[in-house]
Amino acid sequence: MHIPDNYLSPATCGTLVVAMAPVWTVSVLTVKAQVKKHHETLPMLGIAASLAFLIMMFNLPIPGGTTAHAVGGTLLAVLIGPWAACLALSVTLLLQALLFGDGGILAFGANALNMAVIMPFVGYGCYRLGQKLHHEKIGLAVGAYLGINAAALIAGVELGLQPLLAHTASGAPLYCPYGLNIAVPAMLSAHLLVAGWVELVFTLLVFQFVKRVAPTNLYQTPVKTNRRPWLALLVGLAILSPLGLLASNTAWGEWDTTELTHLLAQQHLSTQAPQGMVHGFHFQALFSDYAIAGLPVSVGYILSALSAILIFLLLIRGLQHGTETTD
Amino acid sequence: MALINLVNLCYDYPNTTGLDHLNLTINAGEFVCLMGPNGSGKSTLMKILSGLASPKSGDYQLDGQAITAAYLADAQRRQRLHQKIGVVFQNTDVQLFNTSVAEEIAFGPRQLGLSAAAIEQRVTDCLQLTDCEALRERVPYQLSGGEKKRVALASVLALNPEILLLDEPLNGLTIAAQQQILTLLQRLQSAGKTIIMASHNFQQVQAVGQRFIIFNSLHQISADMTAADLQRQPDRQTQLMTL
Amino acid sequence: MEPKQPTNLPAWLQAPASTTSHATRVTFWQRNQRHLRALLRRLAQPAPAIQPRWHLAPQINLIRLLLLVLLIALIQNAVLLWCLALLLGFQLLWLPPGQLRRFVRSWLFSSVVAVIIVLPSYWLNGPATLLFFSLKTSLMLANAQYYRLTTPFQDLLSGLKSLHFPDVLIMTLAIAVTYLRMLGQHLLLTMEALETRTVAPTKHPYRLIGAMFGNLYLKSYAYALELYAAMEARGFNGHYVRSTPTHSHWRDYLSLSPDLLVLILFVLWRP
Repeated sequence: MHIPDNYLSPATCGTLVVAMAPVWTVSVLTVKAQVKKHHETLPMLGIAASLAFLIMMFNLPIPGGTTAHAVGGTLLAVLIGPWAACLALSVTLLLQALLFGDGGILAFGANALNMAVIMPFVGYGCYRLGQKLHHEKIGLAVGAYLGINAAALIAGVELGLQPLLAHTASGAPLYCPYGLNIAVPAMLSAHLLVAGWVELVFTLLVFQFVKRVAPTNLYQTPVKTNRRPWLALLVGLAILSPLGLLASNTAWGEWDTTELTHLLAQQHLSTQAPQGMVHGFHFQALFSDYAIAGLPVSVGYILSALSAILIFLLLIRGLQHGTETTD
Repeated sequence: MALINLVNLCYDYPNTTGLDHLNLTINAGEFVCLMGPNGSGKSTLMKILSGLASPKSGDYQLDGQAITAAYLADAQRRQRLHQKIGVVFQNTDVQLFNTSVAEEIAFGPRQLGLSAAAIEQRVTDCLQLTDCEALRERVPYQLSGGEKKRVALASVLALNPEILLLDEPLNGLTIAAQQQILTLLQRLQSAGKTIIMASHNFQQVQAVGQRFIIFNSLHQISADMTAADLQRQPDRQTQLMTL
Repeated sequence: MEPKQPTNLPAWLQAPASTTSHATRVTFWQRNQRHLRALLRRLAQPAPAIQPRWHLAPQINLIRLLLLVLLIALIQNAVLLWCLALLLGFQLLWLPPGQLRRFVRSWLFSSVVAVIIVLPSYWLNGPATLLFFSLKTSLMLANAQYYRLTTPFQDLLSGLKSLHFPDVLIMTLAIAVTYLRMLGQHLLLTMEALETRTVAPTKHPYRLIGAMFGNLYLKSYAYALELYAAMEARGFNGHYVRSTPTHSHWRDYLSLSPDLLVLILFVLWRP
C-alpha cells in the first residue's frame, strides 16, 4: 500500500503533508497527556515504530502458495492507543521512505494519511464500538478489515485523481496514469479479497494472545476524554482552510456541468455531461461555490470555512451524552 | 561409534569469525561440557549442530550423514534433524510462546500424531521430571527466569530427542534447582541420550561433566579432556574457575 | 523447600526416538528468516558510507535530496531531466566500483518493479506517457538510492537536527533504529527456537504467528519500561542534545548550485 514517488503530483503531496500537520500536532498533545500517566509511552513510540516495521516486513502465508503482509495499524492502535500509534506508524513510514526505499519521499504525507491516520483510527473506532456493545473481538475484527480497506480506498482515490489533477494540454497524465475507474477497483479488490482478511486474522490472533497472557499491557482508554485535542484539530483545519485560496482548480467532485464536460473531453470519455446531472437533482446551495454575491471570493471562502466548523461543532455537541444535564 | 563428527569446521559472521577450523568427535551417550569465555564459539557450534546454520567450510556428519546446506534446504530433512536434536536456548524468552505451560509442552508431541492420551501422558511426565507440576496452567510469559528454564527443558524433552543441546541451562537457577536439573540430565544420559551443554561456569558443571571441551577466545578448541584428565591438572581447573 | 529428586524416567523417554515422515513443503518460515537476517546484517553495518570526495553537511544532503526529487517530479521538460540525470551520473563516478555495482543492481531492480506496475497504462495513454513516467520514476529512485548509499543513519539524524526538527522526533527515530535491531534479533531467535521444535509441517501457522508477534509486543513493552528507567537514571529531561554542531560551509551551499540552476531554468524557461 506504500505509494512510491512520482505517482502523486507534488501539489497533492504538499497538500497532504500540510493536512497531516494538525493531526500530528494533536497526536503529540494527546500523547503528552498519556506520557504523564504511563511514562514508558515515550520510548514506546520508537520501539512500536520498529515493531510496526517488523510486522510490515513479515511474510504471511496465504492459500495458493504466495504470501502477503499485514500493516498492523489497527493492532497498534489497540495495543498502544490510536494517537501513539499514529506517531509510531509515521516514524515507521519515514524510516522506510528515507532508509529502505519503501514508499516515496514526497509521498510521505499521503502514506502517513492512509496508514498512520485512517487505518488506526477507523480500526480503533470499530474496536471501541464493539467494546461498548460487549463484542470486543467482533469490533476488532471489523475494525481491522475496515481499517485497511478504508486506507486502500483513500490510496486508490489519491492515485486515481492524478490524471484529472495533472495532465498535459493534450490530456496525457503526468503522474499516476490510472484514473479512478482503475485505481480504486484495483486497490480495493486486492485488499477486500486478500490483504483485508490477512490483516483481520493477524490482528485478532495477536490481540487474543496479548489479552490472554498480559491483559494489563493493553491500552486502557482514558475514562474522561479530553476534548482539547479535537479543538486543536479544528483550529488547525481553520488555519489551513485559506490554503484553498491558493489552489485555483475546482476541488475534485465539485465541478459544475460545463466544467465536467470539459474535463470529460480531456479524458476522451464523453463530450456530454451525464444526463442525470443536466436535468436531474439540482439545487442552489446557500454558499454556491463559496462566493456570496457582492462579497470578495476570499471573504466568502473564509466565511464558508467558519460555518462548516460551526456546524461540525454543533454536531459534536448534539451527539454528546448530556452528562451535565441528566446528572 | 561416532555420533557427531566435525572436520575442519569454519563459520564466519558478517564481520567476525565464529569458528576456526574445528575438529571434534562426539560419541553416542556422552555427557559433554563446552567451556570457554563469552563469544568464544560455544553458541555458534550449537547453532551448527542443531541445523540452524550451515558451516562456511568443513564437514559436519551426524550419524554418518553429512549435514550440508543442500541437505538442510529440504524441509522434511530439517524436521527429522530437529526431532533428533533438542535445543534449550540460552534466552528462554524466545522459546516459550504458548498461552499455558501444558500447551507449551504439548506443542511438540502434537506434531508427532500421537493419541490424546499419549500426549497427556508425555505432558504429565515432563512436568513431573522437571518439577513443574504446579505450573501446569500458568502462562509461561509470567513465570520467573528459573521456572522458564525448567519449562523450556520440559517442552524439549517431550519430543524425546536423541541429543540434547543446552545453552547455559543453569543460569538463574537456585543451587537446589541446578542440582535437580543436573541429576535429571545424568539420568537421561544413562538412558542413552547424548548431552551437550555449554557453560562458562565451571563450578556448576564440574561434578557431572564427563568430557570437557575448552574454547579459547580465538574461536578454536584449546583443550579436549575427560573429567579424569582434568582431575590431574589443578592449574587447568583454576583457569576454568576464573573463566 | 527442597525440590524433590526426579523420579525414574518414563518408558517413552528411554525408547529410541521414532521418526515421522511428512511431505516436503517449502516453508515461509525459512523465507522470513532469510529476510530478517539480511535486515540485521544491514543494520549491523549501518555505514556503507563511502565518504564522497568532499564531505557535505548532513542537512545539505537532506535538502539536496528533497530538492532533487521535487524538481524531478515537477519538471516535464526532457532536456532539464537529462541535465539532472547527468548530474547524478557524475556523482556516481566517484563511487568505488563495488558500491557502484551494488547501486546499479538495486536501482535496476526497483525500477523494473516500478515499470511493471505502469506497463498496462500503455493501452490507456500510449507509449510516450509510459516512457516518460518510467524515466522520471527511475531517476527519482536513483537519487533516493544514492542518498541511502552515501548517508549513514547518524547523518540523517544530525541533518534533521540541524533543520530544527523537534527533539522528540529525533529521539524516537534513534530509538526506532536501535530497537529495530534488537526486536529483529528477538524475532529471529524466536523463529529459530520454534523451528527446532517443529518436526512436522505446521497446520495452523497463523496461531503461531499471532503468538510470536504477541510475544514480540510484550517484549517491546518490557524494553520500553527498561529504556525509560535507564533514561530517567541518566537524568533525561525531554531534551535530546547532539554534541556535534554541524557548520555549513560555503562549499556546502555551492554543492546545491547545480540543483538551484536547474530550478531557476525550470521556473524561467518557457519553450
